[in-house]
Amino acid sequence: MSNSAPDPAVLVVGAGPAGLRAAADLAGLGIRVVLVEKRAELGGAPIRWRYKTLAPEQRPTEEVMGPMVRAVESSPRITIHRDALVDGLEGSAGSFRARIRATGTGAVEDVEVGAMVVATGFEHFDASLDPRYEYGRAPNVIGIHELEGMLSDGRVACHDGRAPKRVAFIFCVGSRDRATNPWCCTVCCGVSIKQGIELKELLKDVEVYMIYIDVRTFGLWEDLYWESMEKHGINFIRGRVSQVFDTGKQLLVKGEDTLVRGPFEVLMDMVVLAVGISPGEGTAQAAKAVGLNVNKYGFLQPRHPNVHFDSGKEGVFLAGACVAPMSVEEAILGGSAAAMQAAKAVRDLTAPVGAA
Amino acid sequence: MTGTSGADQGGKQGGQKGSFIVERQYVDDRLITEPKVLEDGGIDMSGRWGVLIAPRTITQFDHTLFHEVLSEPSGKHAHQCFQCGNCTAVCPVAEEQPLFNPRYFIHVVRMGYPLELENVRKHVYLCSSCGRCSEVCPRQVDPSGVMAAIGTVIRKKER
Repeated sequence: MSNSAPDPAVLVVGAGPAGLRAAADLAGLGIRVVLVEKRAELGGAPIRWRYKTLAPEQRPTEEVMGPMVRAVESSPRITIHRDALVDGLEGSAGSFRARIRATGTGAVEDVEVGAMVVATGFEHFDASLDPRYEYGRAPNVIGIHELEGMLSDGRVACHDGRAPKRVAFIFCVGSRDRATNPWCCTVCCGVSIKQGIELKELLKDVEVYMIYIDVRTFGLWEDLYWESMEKHGINFIRGRVSQVFDTGKQLLVKGEDTLVRGPFEVLMDMVVLAVGISPGEGTAQAAKAVGLNVNKYGFLQPRHPNVHFDSGKEGVFLAGACVAPMSVEEAILGGSAAAMQAAKAVRDLTAPVGAA
Repeated sequence: MTGTSGADQGGKQGGQKGSFIVERQYVDDRLITEPKVLEDGGIDMSGRWGVLIAPRTITQFDHTLFHEVLSEPSGKHAHQCFQCGNCTAVCPVAEEQPLFNPRYFIHVVRMGYPLELENVRKHVYLCSSCGRCSEVCPRQVDPSGVMAAIGTVIRKKER
């Protein structure tokens, strides 16, 4: 490490939980950061969709995102490019030249960086791609990301303004399905159950039904599942919904309760789709611009499946849900891990660590 | 019309009603409507076309019975059940009598499926209260106690 020349900057693409954590950690190590975010606001999906709280302990999203956003916005070492994306990357580890394009004006700026962290995140699955659930046609069929915003507003209502009395959550929409996305999004069971609890707390006489194939509340998130039954009386029905039919007044939900081998057709006031996690446009664009490997599902493919941060391209590191579906806490960890690798790369403390 | 087929759960099959129905043994008696005489505008319409088989589809979830079970002292943990089936797996009665299934009874009562409840009513008293289910239950539901509570609630209803 030389004292005469400053360390090269690190380019961070995406300002969600992973990108913000990476930028804040790099700045904390005294390294300059160029942070590029395609949207106007920082924070990624939790801020864009106004998550009320985060699973598993229902802590306000602000508690997690606020400090990171403020740290990044106030840091003199971080240059933020909003409404912008990385259009191309030339050079090699230690001396990259990245082209940043403003999406609105089309203005292009080249920056010199020594390493790069790609944290382009995910998109909530667009449920209108799976027509059996009437999403986008029946107004009382919504996604968990939309319910999150309603919960943040403290008002959950049907399209005509009445409070829903019966709400069905349909798990694995756009997940574990060859017709859409075959992978498991890992978090939507826990998030749905968390929202079910919040619905019960908000609307005293609401009856909540979770229609699931498996309940995959991993690790300590299992508490959510237990408490939703034991403290909040939420009902669980095992099966996969074949159709939602909008009667005009209510929604007829068709499925099979596989625990009794019984087909059901039950009326609900609101249907919430536990939409899965899709790789999203930002990830595809970044992969193309930077020249990264993409797996068969469209997520960025690390060199080794068990070492997420190693992109396989020297000097470029991966973090967050652009690699695989994950929770906010895992994305933050990923951001920190990628920042560590990028710091090592620009300071030349050691050769970049890969899978070995 | 509500309920699920009792085809594999002890609903009566192959009775007198609708004897001409093809593969009659697969249809639950309770779902067949067979009017002796059918008249429409003074015209006698009696015959096979008057016979209807109602769908076995469940059309509502009704938790009233379940709430009564929860208010019984021995049934107060019934809502903790997550349907793993460990109780049924160790049950010596279920080993001999497939129509006695504690896991299934808890779910049917919880969701209030009318046709299935009849099966619960007939067989819930087979529980020998040996308590093996309550020993193995991972969520401390005390299934043996819940069986007693279901029995009590059903008895009260029929009184």
